[in-house]
Amino acid sequence: MQEQVVCKTSELQPGEIREAYFGKQNIVICRTQNDNFYAFMNQCIHQGAPLGKGLLCGATTDESNPGDYHYCHQDEILRCPWHGREFDMKNEGRMLANPNKKLASFKVRVENEDVIVYK
Amino acid sequence: MAKKQIPLIDTDIHERVQYKDILEYLDEPFKHYMKNCHWIQEKHMPYTQPATAGVDRADAILPDGRPAGSDLAFMQEQLLDDVGHEFGILTGALDPSPSSMHGWYEMAAALATAYNDWQIEHWLEKDERLYGSVHIAAQDREEAVKEIERVGSHPKMVQILLPIDDIMWGDPYYHPIFEAAEKHNLMIGMHHNEPPVYYGKWPRYFIEWHTLISTAHMKIIANMIYNGVFEKFPKLGLMMIEGGFTHIPHLMWKMDQQFRDLRHEVPWLTRKPSEIMKEHVRITTQPAEELTKKEFMSLIDQMGTDEMLCFSTDYPHWDYDSPYRALPNMEPELKEKIFSENARAFYPKLPDKREE
Ligand code: FES
Repeated sequence: MQEQVVCKTSELQPGEIREAYFGKQNIVICRTQNDNFYAFMNQCIHQGAPLGKGLLCGATTDESNPGDYHYCHQDEILRCPWHGREFDMKNEGRMLANPNKKLASFKVRVENEDVIVYK
Repeated sequence: MAKKQIPLIDTDIHERVQYKDILEYLDEPFKHYMKNCHWIQEKHMPYTQPATAGVDRADAILPDGRPAGSDLAFMQEQLLDDVGHEFGILTGALDPSPSSMHGWYEMAAALATAYNDWQIEHWLEKDERLYGSVHIAAQDREEAVKEIERVGSHPKMVQILLPIDDIMWGDPYYHPIFEAAEKHNLMIGMHHNEPPVYYGKWPRYFIEWHTLISTAHMKIIANMIYNGVFEKFPKLGLMMIEGGFTHIPHLMWKMDQQFRDLRHEVPWLTRKPSEIMKEHVRITTQPAEELTKKEFMSLIDQMGTDEMLCFSTDYPHWDYDSPYRALPNMEPELKEKIFSENARAFYPKLPDKREE
């Protein structure tokens, strides 16, 4: 199993995204406000935008009705810096508008202060 | 591995001026209105911004916080050098620019002049790859023609960015502008800015507006063709910028079918409308729908020519199309046409291909 310390927890504040290398692969580490960590390939599956320049946020949900917004997924969405496609980090990086598509993801765990990415 | 460079002629790049930077190009009292009276351009769009950084690519905002598109060196690094652009056509169009101003003719005309001077000095004369669009305030036609006469002969101005208004462009009101365009070998560019896709009002949602921009384009193309603009101005060309292109076969078929029935009403047309389109109208590709190669080739086939589409990125906006990813793979000859030769053949002032 390949694993690697990619940064210290102190190098990534809650709500931030950080670019890193996992072996030769350029990845992004996302730390949510609730201190969950996620890691994905730093390339959007649509047209290849650098996800590290994207945004961690919430999203309106499919529980909304016409004219009545329901906003949730607080802190669970990685939004692409170009066309704004929304990827659900909690759901394997699946795209909200088309859950058949997902970002390439990596496993992450935190040990002491180390953020460790592994496959 | 370094990615392959694409010698692109990019038909839609947005440079951006900031209010503080245009001040020195404005004559008084307009400078006074902007500086001391804090004039800012009216805003119309009622929506939340579409993506993560307003209408911009989040990674195109400058590290020091200046807006995307406002710095040449950054644009060179992120776009022109990175992709390998041969040429890029600047299309401005965010405020402050006269492109979406209504009313206050004097301010709009002064702003157009200032904008053109700023564009020439900061972009066209600083990077040999960049070519420009003449901005005019068409609500004051005489001033607009004067402005075309003033900067239209600049060797790097290739088109006039005609503001969208409630007078359609086939109307004789615009003839003096087209005459000046022809005189200076300038094409006419339509860039959606705030097109009235819903009968002069905004739709309820941004997604509706953005989906239907092509309808505003179709109206202008049909209007100019039926009104005989290209019969009267045979050197004139129309570049439809940022409306996508999948609606084009529909429009060609529809106009031809109508023409067969109703020719008597527009007898000055000496050819089928689709033939006029093939000769005079070009379409930038962005925002491209995600098509398979088969779907894409079928559309080209339906257009009856592979010489109408011109690739565009729309850098640095949120719906940027990557030259590497936006269109399906295609044969090298076709790629060369869409990525450079169609635009080169369209704009008379773009240089010939450099000998390798
Ligand atoms: S490149 Fe990410 S949404 Fe298009």
